[in-house]
Amino acid sequence: MSAMADTIHMPAETSAMSTATVRRTDMRSRGEPALWSLGGALAIGIIMILGFLALVFSNGVATFIPKPIIVVTGIDGTVTAGEPFRSELFKPTAEELAALSPEWQARIKDANGYANRTLYRLGNFDIYGEDFRWVPDFAVAKFEQPKNLIFVERAEWGPFVGTVKSFTIDGAEQAFTGLGATAFEKAHADARDRAAAIRKLERGQIGAVNHELEQERLKVRKVEISAGKTSAAYKAAQDNLAEVSVDLQRRYDAATADVTKLREVDARNTLTLAEIGGREKTIPFSALVRAYAANDLSLAQKVGVYFSRWAEFLSDEPREANTEGGVFPAIFGTAAMTLLMVLVVAPFGILTALYLREYAKQGRLVAFVRISVNNLAGVPSIVYGVFGLGFFAYVLGGSIDALFYPERLPNPTFGTGGLLWSALTLSLLTVPVVIVATEEALAAVPRSMREGSLACGASKWQTIRYIVLPRAMPGVMTGIILAMARGAGEVAPLMLVGVVKLAPELPIDGFFPYVHLERSFMHLGFHIFDVGFQSRNAEAGKPMVFVTTVLLIALVTLVNATAIIVRSRLKKRFAGSQF
Amino acid sequence: MLKNFASLVVAAGAFAAVSAHALEVDPKLKDYKKSAGVEGALKSVGSDTLNNLMTLWAEGFGKEYPSVRIEIEGKGSGTAPPAMIGGTAQFGPMSRPMKSGEVDDFEKKYGYKPTALRVAVDSLAVFVNKDNPIKCLSLTQVDAIFSRARKKGGKEDIKTWGQLGLTGEWASKPISLYGRNSASGTYGYFKEVAMGDGDYKDSVKEQPGSSAVVQGIASDKFAIGYSGEGYKTADVRTVPLSAKDGATCYEANAENAYAGDYPITRFLYIYMNAKPGAKPEPLRAEFVKYVLSKQGQMGVIKDGFYPIPSAIAVQDLKVLGLE
Repeated sequence: MSAMADTIHMPAETSAMSTATVRRTDMRSRGEPALWSLGGALAIGIIMILGFLALVFSNGVATFIPKPIIVVTGIDGTVTAGEPFRSELFKPTAEELAALSPEWQARIKDANGYANRTLYRLGNFDIYGEDFRWVPDFAVAKFEQPKNLIFVERAEWGPFVGTVKSFTIDGAEQAFTGLGATAFEKAHADARDRAAAIRKLERGQIGAVNHELEQERLKVRKVEISAGKTSAAYKAAQDNLAEVSVDLQRRYDAATADVTKLREVDARNTLTLAEIGGREKTIPFSALVRAYAANDLSLAQKVGVYFSRWAEFLSDEPREANTEGGVFPAIFGTAAMTLLMVLVVAPFGILTALYLREYAKQGRLVAFVRISVNNLAGVPSIVYGVFGLGFFAYVLGGSIDALFYPERLPNPTFGTGGLLWSALTLSLLTVPVVIVATEEALAAVPRSMREGSLACGASKWQTIRYIVLPRAMPGVMTGIILAMARGAGEVAPLMLVGVVKLAPELPIDGFFPYVHLERSFMHLGFHIFDVGFQSRNAEAGKPMVFVTTVLLIALVTLVNATAIIVRSRLKKRFAGSQF
Repeated sequence: MLKNFASLVVAAGAFAAVSAHALEVDPKLKDYKKSAGVEGALKSVGSDTLNNLMTLWAEGFGKEYPSVRIEIEGKGSGTAPPAMIGGTAQFGPMSRPMKSGEVDDFEKKYGYKPTALRVAVDSLAVFVNKDNPIKCLSLTQVDAIFSRARKKGGKEDIKTWGQLGLTGEWASKPISLYGRNSASGTYGYFKEVAMGDGDYKDSVKEQPGSSAVVQGIASDKFAIGYSGEGYKTADVRTVPLSAKDGATCYEANAENAYAGDYPITRFLYIYMNAKPGAKPEPLRAEFVKYVLSKQGQMGVIKDGFYPIPSAIAVQDLKVLGLE
């Protein structure tokens, strides 16, 4: 920037000293240097944000595009089949170089000693014991893309790359003619229906039986605690349990028999896959998530695979320790926690600000409170996490357990991290934002309006309720939007007070009391951390990190956009009615 | 630890179905059979090395008992004992045995010791970048690389790859160190076995997860670090290790782990609160049975660890009074 200013000064200095001085003052008074630095700062900020978004989106959006499968035959005769993942330049060692043909030696020498190599995603972890392999270009005899190779996504063990050998329907072996063949598609659809039926039985009927049985057991335990083991009430409760158990056991047996029958059918419908080297693997048809002939896809089919992967990602539960499947529980957990937080933070923040601004006598005490609130916003978030764990979970939750759920101890109900405690912790974290924004908004309501209202005979509360608050609402909404955005993206304190790696059970289900605020939950932010740093297969986890990040950004944008629309509606409503 | 390991070598003697590629579980392990009326919630707090494995077990167990809720938290083995003492978790997966202080604290609260189950075998591997040509390291060298105390008797502090015999562009390059954070059981175990309890150098970059160590090494050509062998990716390689200078080096694989040749092999544990003489209630008992069954040990392979031999499973189930 100074260089720019100098070039402008140059002609002035050569002409006359006095004019130069005048011009220099001129520049400063026009604020030129400040303008350049402000504009520069803005530009850098925008470039950084756009760069970040471009990185995340280009990686995240491309993840689900089906890639071709390349068969690489090595000069030593080894055959590798896989999706090319990425390539890089590297320096082969002297020994490697010495073993090469003179032609390759010359080529590498021309490239300053560098050669190219490509990372292939092999799949078939259960057969190979590895998922990825680097293949240097100089070790390759030929590349091929045979059309019969199929990329199979399985429910377990990750993807399989190879061919379909044969499949059985109800124990009878069928010849495989193609993925699109009616028999094959029907077998797959049937297997899926069966898996869904099994799931429904297990989650629904068997789950209900188990739930009721647990409730009955807890009742007995409750009586035991209140009346003692020798009392008549305990005896009666136990008899009741025995009686109910018989009926429940009957229902349980019936449902299990159904499941067993379905499982038996399932075992008779299998799919035999063969990898490129000929080794075979037989899986039940129901373990087949998706299969496509990677090298023989039309554009429409590619788009189909792409969107079906997104659909699975958004609506399914995670599989294989979170590295595959979907993130629905995490989306649900993030949204539920954020909404619950808003429900707590909005009334608290607004009431506090109202009192501070409208009722409290402005003095030292109020100034002190205000400074404290502002300081709260600067406390590291992990400190809130520790507080939430110590106070909410252990003290509050522990007392609730001792009072209301003694029959479940030593298993904690509220005495451990959970959805409610997380929402409360985040409310503490975000309440200063709402207070400050609300106070500003209240202060911005013109004095004349309050005076007018009071002069008409309205009480103070009526003035606040009907005149001040509605006009301050857009400002209050801004505070809530900021709080939500901060809350939805915060992870560190949540790790202490209720976010877990796996909790596919949602906090809302069909069992009384339907909403289970004590349950731990999954969170998109934590999911990113977990898949990125904790999964066994770091390479395969990376694309999932980007996809999840895209999703989290989209979710936060969506929530904010909704709130902004609401705010602008509010603004419009009162725009005409001001003086 | 070593005494502990002798039992593994004996037990594994009978079961040597280890091929170079895919591992197999001991065929003598029992198939898991589901039983009725198992419901409730389980919570596990502890090792992050075992985090994925616990998740896989939870998924498998959840298939048998769809209404059981299992929550898993894994921030390091050090978080398991407090959670178990506080009663917030039923299971405490740990990648190292409990320290005597931790056992004492537990005993003070409950009047008996926690029960340890050996659920998997893991080799700690020393990883280097895939382009690193190093052939072999002794624990003495590893100690001199990672520790400032050099309790294993290394003569000089090893700071560059040249001191380990590498030539060319490697010779003058400093070694960049990666390791785990101090709450991790891997951190403690490596310190104990590979470094004779000496302190780590300050230059070790502490990572929040086993996989983070491997990713760090993958992107740093001159790096070395330690993590579970199962976290290996195509971008890193494991260095064969020998117990002493001049001794034979062994690759980090299941065969060498079972034979007791690979010097830093360990059991992975699940700790639980079980009153001596009393069977644990059905929910926990079934989970333990599942973990130590054929199906549970398949999960161990899936997560890159080595399954336990059936003799050890039987032993540990007997401690709990389960068959």
